[in-house]
Order: sequence, then C-alpha cells, then structure tokens
Amino acid sequence: MSGVARLKIEGVSKTFMRKNKPSVEALRDINLSIAEGEFVAIVGASGSGKSTLLRIIDGLLAPSKGNVQVDGTRIDRPGRDRAMVFQQDALLPWKTVIENVAYGLSLAKVEKAKALNTAQRFVDMAGLRGFEHHYPHQLSGGMRQRVNVARALAVDPKILLLDEPFAALDAQTREIMQTELLGIWQETRKTVVLITHQIDEAVFLSDRVIVFSARPGCVRQEVPIALPRPRALDLKRQPEFVGLVDQIWKMIEAEVRASLVQSA
Amino acid sequence: MRKFYEFLEEDTRAAAVARVTLSAGSVLLVWQILSFFVKDRLLLVPPADVVVAMVHEAQQGTMWDNAVATVTAVGTSFLVSVLLGIAIGLTLASSRALSLTAGPLLSALNSVPIIALAPLFIAWLGLGFASKFVLVLLVAVFPVVVTTEVGLRATDKQLVEAANSFNATSWQVFTTVTFPFALPFIVSGVRVAWARALVGIVVAEFFGSFAGFGFAIMSASQTFDTARVLGYVLLLGAMGLFGGLLFETLERRLAPWRQE
Repeated sequence: MSGVARLKIEGVSKTFMRKNKPSVEALRDINLSIAEGEFVAIVGASGSGKSTLLRIIDGLLAPSKGNVQVDGTRIDRPGRDRAMVFQQDALLPWKTVIENVAYGLSLAKVEKAKALNTAQRFVDMAGLRGFEHHYPHQLSGGMRQRVNVARALAVDPKILLLDEPFAALDAQTREIMQTELLGIWQETRKTVVLITHQIDEAVFLSDRVIVFSARPGCVRQEVPIALPRPRALDLKRQPEFVGLVDQIWKMIEAEVRASLVQSA
Repeated sequence: MRKFYEFLEEDTRAAAVARVTLSAGSVLLVWQILSFFVKDRLLLVPPADVVVAMVHEAQQGTMWDNAVATVTAVGTSFLVSVLLGIAIGLTLASSRALSLTAGPLLSALNSVPIIALAPLFIAWLGLGFASKFVLVLLVAVFPVVVTTEVGLRATDKQLVEAANSFNATSWQVFTTVTFPFALPFIVSGVRVAWARALVGIVVAEFFGSFAGFGFAIMSASQTFDTARVLGYVLLLGAMGLFGGLLFETLERRLAPWRQE
C-alpha cells in the first residue's frame, strides 16, 4: 500500500447516550485502512456495531471519538465521494426506476437531461434495461436492489458502502446478485465496504474480511482472502473457500450463540 | 352472473360507472316501490314528481341562483380550509412541543358540534357569505390538519436516511421525501373535508341566507313541498358523490404502491 489510504478509520468509538437508560457503547477504537479499489467485507454477530460503523463512514452519524478520512481528508458529513446501498425499500415509491437512479444526481442539482443520461448508463449496467419506467412496487426484491446499487453508482462515488444489501433476498437471487456485484465492481473498480452477516458472501466477494466482536464492537481479526479472481459461483464449493468460511465462523460462533439468548 | 360480479370488482372507469349506476338505480327502485304504498304526498313523493319539480325550478332560474350561492360559498371556503389545514398541519408536524400543546385543544374543537353554533355565527357575522364561509371553514379544516400532520410524521425513516446519505438539504428532504409521502394522506383528509363542508354549508344556509340549496330546502319544507326538498337533497348528494370519487381517484393516483 503506497501513499495515503483511500479510506482511513482512526480510533473511531461510538457511544449512544439514551435518556433514562444506560448508554450503549457500540464501537470501541476501530482502526482500519482501506486501499483504493479494495473490496473489504465486515462480518460480525448482530449488535457488533458494524452498521453503526458504516453510517459513520457515510457521514450520517458522527463518531464519539476518532475520525474518518477519505484520501487523507477528514469527513464530517455525507458527500458525493461516498454512496450507500441500503438494505431494502430505500427507494422512493412514487418515482420510476430511472428517476430513482437519478435521485442522487438531482439532489446534487445536476441538470435533468444530463442526470437521466447518466442514470441510463447505470440502469443498463445493473441489468434494468426495459424497466426504466416501472415503479419500485412493480419489481421483485432482487430488481429493487439492482436499482439501489445503480442509484449509488450513478453519483460516481470513490467509495461504495453496502449495508447488508442482499439480506432480504432469497438464497438463489442472492447468489446471482453477488456475481453481478462482482461484475460491476470489476468494471468500475470502486473501493467497497460491505457489511454482511453472511460469511460466505463476505469471503466470496472481498479481498479482506474484517471480523467484528460484539458489545462493544471492535475489530477481532482480519482475514485476507487470497482466492483468485474473477470468481464464479462454483468457487463456493472449493475446499479453500469452505475452509475460510469455517475459520471465520469459528471466530464469531460463540458470540452469535450468546446474542441468541440476549434481548436486543 | 359470476362474470358480472367480477366485472364490478374491476379497477376500471367502466366498472366504476357501473357501480355508481347500480347503487343509484337500486335506491330509485326502492324509492319507487315505497311510494306505491305511502300515499301521503307530504311524507313521500315518487322520483318522477321530484324530477318534474326540479325541471320547474330550473326553468324558473331559481335553481341556478341557488347553485351559484351554494357553490361559490362552499367552493371558496373549502379551498381555504384545505390550504389552511395543510399550513396548520405543517406547523404542527414541525414542532413536537407545539403539537403536544395544541393537539388536545384541536381535538376538543374537532369533537365539539360546531354546526350547533351556527346561529351564534350568524349573530356575529350576519346573514350571507361571511357566516357561511366561517362555519364551513371550521368544520372542514380539521380533517386536513390531522391527516397532514399524521402523513408528515409517518414518513419512512429509511427514505429520509437515503436522502441524507446523498447529502440532501433539509428543504430537499421535505420536497423529495416527506411531502410526497404525506400527499396521499392529505388527500384522504381533503375527501373527508369535502363531505363535511357540504353539511356545513347546508346548515349555514338553513339559518342565515336568502339563497342556496340549504335555503331552498328550508323554504320548501316550510311550504310542505316535499318534491323540492328531496330534489335539492339529491343535488347535494350528487355533489358529495362526485367530489368523493374525484378525491378517491386522486388518492390512488398519488399512491399506487399502497394498492398492492
């Protein structure tokens, strides 16, 4: 890694203060450095603060301590250098597919014709051609997530943040979407931070898996994924792949079991 | 028979027209049958007599005068109610403290039968437009206030977060997320407001005017002209029906995703 990291997270901690209740320490002293074009996945039991970290990176939440830097510049609010793909149903139901994809651009006051033009490119890339004028409620869950991905890419961010993007999809659709995401990543070479609770998804997609510990969330271990690219779905049946998934599962198994019996 | 039943459930204009025709037709039929048995024409007149009476009213021009008086009063007052209701709803939704403070007062006012205060308003504002205007405003504004506030507060948090993630200003969040989300709620309030406005105008005209449908109903019933009473009541019913259908269509157009 040479020069400044694309994304640097320095000593980030987050404690949520609550009225008449004990405060919750969600994150403690997170340090991460992510290179340009790198695909990093963060996995951890629920309650490990991974979603909170993603919102801090996006600028939606302020850290209690520490800071986040993009290309060496500290961020304190959302910006066009980062874009977030949300879990589901974060699309505007009264706007068509193409209008939803152009939404980020129109908020940035990009001229309408130009915004629609750009949006069309990402509609095509996400495999949504022919559905431009459909409304979200007319699409399947998988198609809706394609719109979500296209909307984030349309603002041409340096860093793409994915918040359990395929969690609400059925297993088969999810696998297809994973390969599509890899294709798009290969084409656009964005820096990606993916939050997921699916270990096989994390291993399949990323260059590096960050394993989080829960309560408070902190980095437990980093696992480099040296599997060759481009990757196809049959990789998931290879012994190296299965071995990596198993290794990571063992790291978080105890915490997942513990979180099962805890109330949220 | 089964085919016809399925047709009535369709979401098409033809089916909607068929539904209205069918229900209006059944009422007419029951009415016609009843008037065979009720021979006292003070109590009930058959539909045909009502038509004759109304044609006579139309020819004389009194129906037109009454329509102008009622429609201008209810129209302006309804429009102002909607705008004012949205404005108050916006204000209440913008401040939790204000909403909690003013809320109980508003719901108390809403449950008071304001209609019963009609004679008082006429004493304050005199006979004519002003008293009609205020009375209609007071009954029609509340549904809009309530649904505007509810709609604005109901906004999907995920959509707001997505807008914020694109660095939207708070004005952009309002215009692209919160307000469009609230719009179908507001229209459903407007629909209720229209029905209430019609009741308001009739009562106001009962007590305080020399023209309008309410005035015509009052004067016809004082001369025991049952045909004319029923005729004007039917006209008001038609106004209510068409307004209701219009706002219902608008509501569906604005929020097609809520159908499925």
